[in-house]
Amino acid sequence: MHSESKTKYYSHLVKLIIAMIVLGVAGFFARQLFSPESMGEYGHYRGADIEDQKNVPVRLQTNESCFQCHKPVRRIHKKGVHKSVSCEVCHGPYADHVKDGKKIGMLPVKKGKEITHLCLRCHNKVIQARPRTSIKMVGMPEHLQEKKVRIENTCDQCHMVHDPLLWINQAKEMIGIKEEM
Amino acid sequence: MIDIKKEIQQDRRAFIKKVLGGTIAGSLLLVIPATAQEVAEEIPGMRAEDSVFTKKKFVFIVDITACIGCGSCCVADKAEYNVPDHNYRTWVERYIIDDHDGVYVDSPNGGLDGYTKPREGLPYPTRDTFFVPKLCNMCEDPSCVQVCPVGATYKTNDGFVLVDKTRCVGCSYCIQACPYSVRFINPVTRTAEKCTWCYHRVRKGLLPACVSVCPVHARKFGDLSDKTSEVWKILHEPHVISVLKPDMGNKPALHYLGLRREVV
Ligand code: HEC
Ligand code: HEC
Ligand code: HEC
Ligand code: HEC
Repeated sequence: MHSESKTKYYSHLVKLIIAMIVLGVAGFFARQLFSPESMGEYGHYRGADIEDQKNVPVRLQTNESCFQCHKPVRRIHKKGVHKSVSCEVCHGPYADHVKDGKKIGMLPVKKGKEITHLCLRCHNKVIQARPRTSIKMVGMPEHLQEKKVRIENTCDQCHMVHDPLLWINQAKEMIGIKEEM
Repeated sequence: MIDIKKEIQQDRRAFIKKVLGGTIAGSLLLVIPATAQEVAEEIPGMRAEDSVFTKKKFVFIVDITACIGCGSCCVADKAEYNVPDHNYRTWVERYIIDDHDGVYVDSPNGGLDGYTKPREGLPYPTRDTFFVPKLCNMCEDPSCVQVCPVGATYKTNDGFVLVDKTRCVGCSYCIQACPYSVRFINPVTRTAEKCTWCYHRVRKGLLPACVSVCPVHARKFGDLSDKTSEVWKILHEPHVISVLKPDMGNKPALHYLGLRREVV
């Protein structure tokens, strides 16, 4: 009689403990089931993500990659004052143009006023924040007025885009030769 | 069809020779790519590293005294990752400090379209003006990693702070936690995104896209464990170098050359 009442007295605690153990075990297995396999391999993250991150496709290449096919541009650009300027900033990413070594699409080529806009992105004097030691700048339209041409003229009429001093130096050379004679 | 039959009948040997010649030439074309090969390694020794984490210690240095604010880096970054419009993994800010110590900052479209106009309507003459490119600071103690509830943002043993797209639930805690505001929720994937210093390129031996395209070499990236590297020299010789918000205690691996104290 006495012992029976004692069991009754503790039974709710026992039930509670069993329930907690069951929940704990279920929770443990649920966690195993739902967290990815490589979770916690190197820390509190999915270890396999490092491999995934490595495999993000590369879309931009280097100027060298363009030179492999564009030999004429290579001859001009590599030696010119624009050798540090990226082809892909002016033309677009490699991945839109070449895949597995074959041309898959065309890259845009800027024309007319767009070219002037492109040049002024780097060479516009009105942007005072540009350090003068980094780049030579021109004021517009003063630069064109100085050269005595109409201000509608675009930059590529005198500057070869891939080496802006190419034609100018050639012209200077020719004048120099004439002066010598 | 009829022609081929005729040809075979005329001279079997010659025909077989012709076909064989064709196939050999064809297979040669496949073997020798007439075109693009892999470009040379830009980070020495990188392609030889095959362990999970590299043994290098990378740092990024931005030279404020060289940056011309052309936005080439922004163009390259957008193209490399197809970043949706009005979100920026890297951007360029223009600072103007006037002779009354007023500080004005602007960044039209993150500098993606370049700077075309001078800033107008400021009350006092300009004392100092310069560009500050911004990107992930790759903190040694990243607050974004601490707050992520699902282990989606993590720091690798070689110092890269990355976001696991498959784990991220888009709760934006990390965006709140980042002292440098480099994170955003990608409207397409609805997960947190930020600059990774082009982890995928670096692991393949290429420089980060923004470093590769910078025409004035204002962005420098390299290995601090290599004492011959440019970055080692900059950080170990007298230079005006600083990090952003040093008192936050995040210990960024992104350093700035010629940083003014007004920059935040
Ligand atoms: C696999 C060889 C290959 C590589 C590598 C390559 N191109 Fe091309 N590219 C071509 C071919 C072929 C054309 C088409 C030429 C044509 O139709 O006249 C072309 C066309 C172009 C055009 C358009 C020319 C026009 O007249 O419309 C541009 C611009 C261009 N390439 C830029 C680049 C840049 C920038 C790179 C480097 C990121 C590059 N190319 C890499 C093969 C290549
Ligand atoms: C400053 C921006 C700029 C850079 C840098 C640049 N290009 Fe161009 N490129 C142009 C423009 C603008 C044109 C159009 C030229 C024109 O119509 O006069 C052009 C034209 C071309 C063409 C068309 C064929 C031609 O010669 O007219 C090819 C191919 C080309 N570029 C390839 C390249 C490659 C390869 C590089 C890297 C070595 C490169 N470009 C770098 C702006 C640039
Ligand atoms: C992405 C920025 C960028 C763009 C766009 C750009 N340039 Fe340049 N340009 C440079 C850099 C950098 C140099 C080299 C500066 C140096 O080394 O002193 C340079 C040099 C020059 C020079 C030689 C200056 C000198 O005397 O040393 C001329 C001229 C020039 N660019 C004209 C142009 C023209 C024209 C265009 C448009 C087709 C253009 N640039 C587009 C960045 C750019
Ligand atoms: C009428 C021909 C002509 C046109 C058009 C022209 N330039 Fe020039 N530019 C020149 C000549 C010539 C020089 C070389 C000047 C010298 O050596 O003194 C020059 C020099 C430059 C320089 C170097 C300045 C320096 O301080 O050394 C830059 C930068 C430049 N041009 C940019 C441009 C841009 C950008 C455009 C388009 C808006 C443009 N040019 C249009 C003829 C032209």
